[in-house]
Order: sequence, then structure tokens, then C-alpha cells
Amino acid sequence: MKTIAMDEPAVVIIGSGAGGGTLAHELTQAGIECVLLEAGPYLKNEDYENNEWEAFHQMAWLDPRTTSGSWRIAKDFPTLPAWIVKAVGGTTTHWSGATPRFKDYEFKARTTYGDVPGASLLDWPITLEEMAPYYDRAEIAMGSTHRHGRPALPANNNYKVFANGAERVGYKLYATGPYATNAEPYDGRPASVQDGFNFQGDKSGAKWSIMVREIPRALETGLLDLRPDSHVVRITHDASGKADAVIYADAEGNLHRQSAKVVCLAGNSIESPRLLLMSDSGMFPHGLANSSDQVGRNYMRHMTGSVYARFDKPVHMFRGETMAGIIADEAQHKPDRGFVGGYYMETISLGPSFLAAFAEPGAWGPDFAKLMDAYANTAGMWIVGEDMPQATNRITLNTTVRDKWDLPVPNVHFDDHPNDVAMRTYAYEHAEKLYEAVGATGHHRTPPYPSTHNLGTCRMSERAEDGVVDRWGRTHDVPNLFVSDGSVMTTGAAANPTLTIVALAMRQAEYLAAELKRGNI
Amino acid sequence: MRTSRRFVLLGSASAAVASVIARTAYASIPLELGDGADSRRMVARMVRVMYPHDRFGDGPYERSAEMIIGVAGKTTGQKIAFAAALMDMESDGFLDLDDAAAYDYLKGMEETEAFKLVRGNAILTLYDDPEVWELLGYQGASFDQGGYVNRGFNDLDWLPEPRIEEYGVGQ
Repeated sequence: MKTIAMDEPAVVIIGSGAGGGTLAHELTQAGIECVLLEAGPYLKNEDYENNEWEAFHQMAWLDPRTTSGSWRIAKDFPTLPAWIVKAVGGTTTHWSGATPRFKDYEFKARTTYGDVPGASLLDWPITLEEMAPYYDRAEIAMGSTHRHGRPALPANNNYKVFANGAERVGYKLYATGPYATNAEPYDGRPASVQDGFNFQGDKSGAKWSIMVREIPRALETGLLDLRPDSHVVRITHDASGKADAVIYADAEGNLHRQSAKVVCLAGNSIESPRLLLMSDSGMFPHGLANSSDQVGRNYMRHMTGSVYARFDKPVHMFRGETMAGIIADEAQHKPDRGFVGGYYMETISLGPSFLAAFAEPGAWGPDFAKLMDAYANTAGMWIVGEDMPQATNRITLNTTVRDKWDLPVPNVHFDDHPNDVAMRTYAYEHAEKLYEAVGATGHHRTPPYPSTHNLGTCRMSERAEDGVVDRWGRTHDVPNLFVSDGSVMTTGAAANPTLTIVALAMRQAEYLAAELKRGNI
Repeated sequence: MRTSRRFVLLGSASAAVASVIARTAYASIPLELGDGADSRRMVARMVRVMYPHDRFGDGPYERSAEMIIGVAGKTTGQKIAFAAALMDMESDGFLDLDDAAAYDYLKGMEETEAFKLVRGNAILTLYDDPEVWELLGYQGASFDQGGYVNRGFNDLDWLPEPRIEEYGVGQ
């Protein structure tokens, strides 16, 4: 592996997930050397545990965090606002695989939805048309089914219930994808063996992740210096206000300084703003790249929820690809439903260990036992839709709770917007109707899990005063500092975000490579 | 009654409570399983009342109780709250209550630290037990057996085979 000297001003990428890992791959393919710093360990497919709690403790981001606000997570899981991964490959390690694109109107949310009281809606400075070629490239890289000649995954049991219900209530836009797991061998990776484990890392390699594709290929170029167990604690700048280095702690807490000519920040929507806020200085008293006071604001987590339905016959929802079932009929803007924006319905399955913990946190007694008792006959779906950005939903530094390095932990404040609540209620009702149409004998509305989709907090804006980064993800305030993860999303759209994060990173890499070659950075 | 037992906790009139639980709970904190069979029985009963499954034998509940007792004494505050609650429950004859009465009894202590300690750990242990998985029909890890691709991932036969392609494709 390449070793880049600590005093060599390098292209430094912070975070190796969907954004940072894609960037490292694209830049090294373009002949540009990179240092890739990952806070977590280098776990490989063979290390993954096919056991819910063991895998959780192996790969989840469990550094202390705090929560506030009226969201239920603050009561049920006050120290676990998000369920994301701390390992090489980031949260692509345990993502499920659904890859719908954002829609045209979703890039123009303010124009389409109008003035929604309490929401800080803004149009993206880019359009779907501009994103389309990068979506194509991302789908090809990730091997999305139903796209570019990739065949569909077969129907598993959970999907059979889901799709038949969809048909009976009149939905048309259902299918087993698009989903970034191989139905047949592709790109050097095998076909799915339907082993049922996605949220724990996929041992087989059939599921696309940064760890199985981008990391090994970037390493093969000989241009990538990958440093796991390297947790960045500060980005420093020179007298002119340009980023000049990052300081990171290794596994033992020893501090290192990597000199930088460009810094690309991709630590997920909680750690990225935290790091900018922690990198305050005399020149940037409110945090780096925060002259707008927008860093950390407009934290979005998608409107989510699950419905688990019971039948009088077996389902065995746990067998097979967890989320290879998508209904897109409700993913459109139809304000006569009582809310703006749309949502998807997607199959989901949890094992008994996680279902017990998350189906109805805090519940006990015969009714709850009945829910668990029906496990084998249970089908499940997740609802995931656009939530409203709100300036007060934000990541701040908690000045009283500190992590193991004695640094302030991030506090995640969240209140549901009335639009989120209206959409969730509507989505629950329609999920129940779907299952009743195929004979459900009962169902349960499960509240949102700790957030898996973490968006916003460094949003992209045309004008510097409205956001943190420009149309390329370059911060408005610091010319050689980029944000390369889901933090840049101006609004959240309804779709699962990974495909869009990858497409945005591909687009950013192309821009960055050109700027570096032109000597503009 | 409760007042007097709280008083006992403070170190006076110890003769008032001479139960096995009292001896083991306070003499050998953290509650040793070997000596604390009564404690384990009490906790196992609590877990069964919290999560009643007729088809579960005693094994899963006992294993859950063991694990709960193992973590119940992490802090002095927890040890005291836990032991005091067990003493209360023994005095109140919790083990002799029928299911409905036992449920009502637990409902009455739902907001106590001891209840939350037991419930919070029970939910993480009872359903994370391979015997329980089998009873519920969950087959768990499958990678070593080639996944479920040839082991029933699509064996549901009470509904028609649905379309897997997107709407309008190939039509």
C-alpha cells in the first residue's frame, strides 16, 4: 500500500463510506494520490457476524452521543440517535441495498412544495438532469437490479406478501428492486444466496459495498494510503483561511498531523458537522466553514416507520434479501393526501432479537408477547419518505458530555414536523390496508428505528448565506475544503440516499480532479 | 409493610426479614447464582409474566434471569434497588400469584428502577436465545449452509407468484 508522508500536503479524505470511499476510488482511478482516514477498523466479509447483537457490537458507531427534542428516540434510545457503521466502508457495510433515484421535483422542493410553515425548504443548486449521467455510473458501479441490464432478484416470501398486497390495493409500481445486490454474478462478485443478513454486513459479497468494490480497487492503483482506526479530531487552516492539515487520533489516542492540500469531509451527517464545529479558531469562531451559521442545521432522518403484519399461515420473512421489495406508487407529490412530498414502501425483516428490541420499545405484557409469538407468520415493511428540513433540527456540541478523547459529543436535536407526522400516519394506514388485502389477522405500527438515513447538516446552496457548500460540495468559506457525504443534501427526497451519495461523490471527484489538474487548488 | 422493609434496608431490625432472598441478596451481592436460586426463580417468573409464551419451557426464562442477575449489580445503587425489590416481592408472595394478578403486580411497579432493570435486560436476552429462535420459527445464520436460496426463501405457497419486474417492463 502507498505510504504518503505526514508532511506531504495530500488530498485527505475523512471517512470511507459511500461518499468518502467513492471519492477515494474515483480520484485514485484518475491518478491522484489520497490519504483515506477511517475512524473504525478494517473489517472484512469473513469477519461479519450473522447474529444481530454480535454484529451490532462489532460494527455500529457506539461512541457516546446525546439526544434532545420531542422525537421518541430521545426517550427510548437516548444515547443512540443513529444506527450507522464505524468500519472501513462505513454504513455501506450494513446498508440494505435499495437504490431508487431522487426525482426531478425533489431537487426543487421549495418551488414544488411552496412555503411550508416551520420548514426551511430550499431548492438544490443542481437538477436531476445534471445528475442523470452520475446516477447511471453509480447504478452500474453498484450493480443495481432492473438497471443497465442487471436482472431482477427473485421474489422472496416477504415480497410475495408485499407484492400481492400491493396488487390488490391497486398499486402498480412494485418490483424487487432497484437493489444493489447481484441476482447473478456481476463485477467479480457472486449472486445472492439469500442468506437473510444485510444489516449485519453481507458475508458473501453479493451485496455492493465500498468495502467489497471501491476500497480494493483503489488500493490496487497503488495510490491510496488507507488508515483505519484513525479518528479525525480537527481540521486546521493556515493564515489565509485555507485548510492545511487534519489532526487525528489513532486507536491508542496518539495524535497525528497529516498535512493537506485538499480536505474532503465524509463522516456522516452527525460527525461531519461535529468536526467542523470542533475546528473553530480565531478566524472561524463559530466553527470551520460556518459563517452562515448553517453547519449542523437542517438535520434530516427521513420520515420512517414499519408495519409488521400477522397472518394465519407461515411467511418466514427473514429468509432472503431483506429489502428486495419496493413500492413507488406513493413516491410522488400529491398534496391532496394531506402532506407534501412522497414516500416508498419497502420490505423489511428483523430477527427476533432486534424485533423484540425495536418493534415497540418499552412494551411488555401479553399483547407484546403475541406480536413476538407470531414471528414465523409475520411480514414486514418499512416506510421511508421525505422529511421536512428544519433549522432547529440540528447537531450541536454537547459541552457537558465528553467522549473517550475528552472531546464534546454531538447532541442530536429532532422534532417531527407536522408534515412528517401526517405522512407517517397516512403511510401506516395504507400499509395496513395492503396487508389486510392479503388476509392479515393483525398488525403493529413500529416507530422509527435509530436513524439509518442521516442527511443535511452541511447543506448545498446557491447562495453562501443559505448553506454550507456549493453545487460541487465545496464549502462556501474555505476553498479547499469539500463535504462529500449525505450532509450536503439540501432536502432529503423520499429515496434511500446511498445511490445519490455515491452519484454526488462521483460528480465531485470529476470536478476535483479537473481543478487539481488545472492547478486551481 | 413496605415502610418497615425499607427500614430493614437501612440496617435495623434485620430479624424482621429472614428470608433466603434477604440472606443471599445482601450477604453475597452481587447475587450469586448458586446461592441465589430464589432470586433466580423470582426473576424468571418476572420475565415470564412480562413476556408470556405458553410454548416456552422454563429454560429460556431461567437463562434470561441468570443474565439479568449477572448484570443487575453493576452499581451499588442498582444492587440495592434490585435486592430491595426482590425482598418486597417475596414478602408479597409474588411467586404464588396467578398470571393476571402477577401482571397487575408488575404493572404497579412498572416505574421502579428494579422493574426497568429487569425488563430492559429481559428484552435483550429472552429473545436472543437460540432455543427461543427455534420455538418462534427463526432459523438464524444461514451463510454456512449456503443461505436460504435452496432452503425455502421463496416457499410461500398461499399467494400467487407476483411480478418481480417493474410495471410496464416487458409488457
